Amino acid sequence: MSALTFTLKYQPKQRVDMSPLVCQLLQGKTTQQIAALELQSGKLKLRVDQVFDISGDDTQAIVIKNSFAKLDFIGKELDGGSITVEGDAGAYLAMGMKTGEIKVTGSVGLYAACEMKKGYLEIGGNVGDFLGAALPGNKMGMKGGTILVKGNAGERVGDHLRRGTILIEGNAGDYCGSRMTAGTIAVMGQTGRYLGYAMRRGTLLLWNQPQLSASFNDCGSHTLGFLPLLFNSFKKFNSKFADASVAFNRVQRYAGDMSEMGKAEVLVKIK
Amino acid sequence: MLIKLTGGQVYDPASGVDGQIQDIYIQDGRIVDMPVGDFKIDKEYDLHGKVVMSGAIDMHTHIGGGKGNIARTLLPEDHRQDPVSRSDITRSGCGHAMPSTFVTGYRYAEMGYTAGFEPAVLPINARQAHMEMGDIPILDKGGYVMLGSDDYLLRMLTAKKDQKAINDYVAWTMNAAKAIGVKVVNPGGINAFKFNQRKLDLDEQNAHYGVTPRDILEVLATAVKELGVKHPLHVHGCNLGVPGNVQTTLDTIQGIGGLPMHLTHIQFHSYGTEGDMKFSSGAAQIAEAVNNNKNITIDVGQVLFGQTVTASGDSMRQHYNHKFASPNKWVVMDIECDAGCGVVPFKYKDQNFVNALQWAIGLETFLLVNDPWRIFLTTDHPNGAPFTSYPHLIRLLMDRSFRNEVLSTIHPEAQKMTTLASITREYTLQEIAIMTRAGAAKLIGLKDRGGLSAGNWADITVYTDNTNRQTMFEKPDYMFKDGELVVVDGKVVHTKWGTTHVVQPDFDPSVETGLKDYFDRYLTMKLGNFKISDDEITEDGRGSITVHPLNGVA
Repeated sequence: MSALTFTLKYQPKQRVDMSPLVCQLLQGKTTQQIAALELQSGKLKLRVDQVFDISGDDTQAIVIKNSFAKLDFIGKELDGGSITVEGDAGAYLAMGMKTGEIKVTGSVGLYAACEMKKGYLEIGGNVGDFLGAALPGNKMGMKGGTILVKGNAGERVGDHLRRGTILIEGNAGDYCGSRMTAGTIAVMGQTGRYLGYAMRRGTLLLWNQPQLSASFNDCGSHTLGFLPLLFNSFKKFNSKFADASVAFNRVQRYAGDMSEMGKAEVLVKIK
Repeated sequence: MLIKLTGGQVYDPASGVDGQIQDIYIQDGRIVDMPVGDFKIDKEYDLHGKVVMSGAIDMHTHIGGGKGNIARTLLPEDHRQDPVSRSDITRSGCGHAMPSTFVTGYRYAEMGYTAGFEPAVLPINARQAHMEMGDIPILDKGGYVMLGSDDYLLRMLTAKKDQKAINDYVAWTMNAAKAIGVKVVNPGGINAFKFNQRKLDLDEQNAHYGVTPRDILEVLATAVKELGVKHPLHVHGCNLGVPGNVQTTLDTIQGIGGLPMHLTHIQFHSYGTEGDMKFSSGAAQIAEAVNNNKNITIDVGQVLFGQTVTASGDSMRQHYNHKFASPNKWVVMDIECDAGCGVVPFKYKDQNFVNALQWAIGLETFLLVNDPWRIFLTTDHPNGAPFTSYPHLIRLLMDRSFRNEVLSTIHPEAQKMTTLASITREYTLQEIAIMTRAGAAKLIGLKDRGGLSAGNWADITVYTDNTNRQTMFEKPDYMFKDGELVVVDGKVVHTKWGTTHVVQPDFDPSVETGLKDYFDRYLTMKLGNFKISDDEITEDGRGSITVHPLNGVA
């Protein structure tokens, strides 16, 4: 069996809701049936074969080729299997993903991996605001799994994060880790203003000194035994995070946000 | 155009018709007598085997005003989970606990409702409330203006102004805010909250003004009576939700001294402190007091299980309740120094002892109050449950075996604390028609509504009789609003706009002198802008104003 491949024929003017094209919904369907599915695009409903050339038959390994930034909801609530996106992806990538694996070679829009439950998401390029966040009004963001971003991330990374790990090789925007309940965010590059705003628990692991609000307290420098274990767990990734040379165990520890519970920590590598 | 509804079984308590087979004629939006001589029927509906009632009226439902929008903003998930798409005749919308305006109108109509009254129109927000209700299709609407925690009234009381001055202020406010009734919420308590009081009993003084809730209730109930406003003072009493508040409620009933008074969502005010959990039902005592005091009317504010949101002007009690918020987010705020507002999402659970007992207390109240003309079917939408649960509630009232079936599934300790299982009463269709139609129209003082005799506006709902009352009331066969067919088989087939019901009691124009100074000094808008003109409601071509008569005035 070869991967079920959707090759974009043209770029629709309106955004396209890709949520019907996930492994668990396509399982057991023939190519004809899949071709006849309808995708909402603006106020139009487009047949899948109007938008994509379809080849291959393994519904548990989906490839989307020529993808671009208006393809929203790719891998929504994915429940096993894998999706590979060649190109960019739109908003709500991997929203509510339950398990499985999604890889995107290009850049991704808003709310990627929002309220993700489990699984693995890898983004080759940059990602927009609210990575791993909660939908507006909801109280819990990503609840588990791992996200790896090779480029930069937008604002509000991990807003309301509940559990899971977000690894960012590049920079993160303002409000990184805002309103986090728990979980881990690691940023190798620079971070923006209001880091950890209203953060309750959880860990921000940083390679560079951030601009911290007055509501974070400096708790001194520490050698933390758990850090080598944490870095060990990154070894399996195709990432800078797997490189032994980036690991460290000496950190400056800051506790906050004191305007909230204050049980969260920001760990900054001591150079 | 002459429409004939033929052979339906008519329940029209307003004229004493109880299930007789009657024909109804409709001409120019109103019900008419059978024309004499030769006449041509343009459209006939065969209603043999169908149940015919006038359109239902919800006399207490939060469908307009700022707190609804706060609830919507607070709960986007409520909207995401319940999208409603547009059709050729209806507009899109969303929302389960706090639906959008258009969806509110459609869903009410699809249950056979033709009017809804917003019970908490804050004078300073009245314009927004009317604009919002102006966007609710099909339904007639109206509002009760909220007084009692406004500084101007409290200042008047502190200054010992006479009743005449207070009557003028109340009448002026009703005119300015286009109201049909007056409501008081936690009398003086919303104000006392701002002076750091966290509870206020009936005879406890406001720390700043030295005024007690009892004083406020007396002057307002007197004002409403003396002005001739038909809807009695609409009271959301002190100590909402506090175990033991049944005593406060009984004291309130006694203390009003025979003046007409409507106690709203009384379920939340009927709690005792007996039992291991120090929470028990006071429904029997309340029902006895209501049965014995003919000046008292009540609506229940029934709790039904599921997710909803509580939206109240009672910032004092909502501040206390915030710790039970589910999901855990809430808003309590002051509104323009005039009153307050609290929005707390709630999930009533049948396996939670308190929630389960609240459910039972509401039903006990329904079943123990004898006179259906003085008790009204509400869930205090959305506070006890969204209005869409009314058909389920009607089934609970009309079907004892169903009621006991549900009772046997709730929290076991709550089952032990209620007498519900032993109550055999089942509501009749006529009693339901009184509670939801004729009685409500009479209570609000609506002329030519709530009845099916000639002269009434043709607001008519037709149901198929079904022993499953929920199914029956969920889906009317037909619903006519002002003689136009708007619902067929529980679906909106045509939309129109309802009217806004108001009263216009007289006042001495010199009342504005003192008010103008007060507005200029303290409030965010000028007196001239505060008053809502008729044009603001009618100029879009779809709204209209219907003025209803006062007592003692023809």
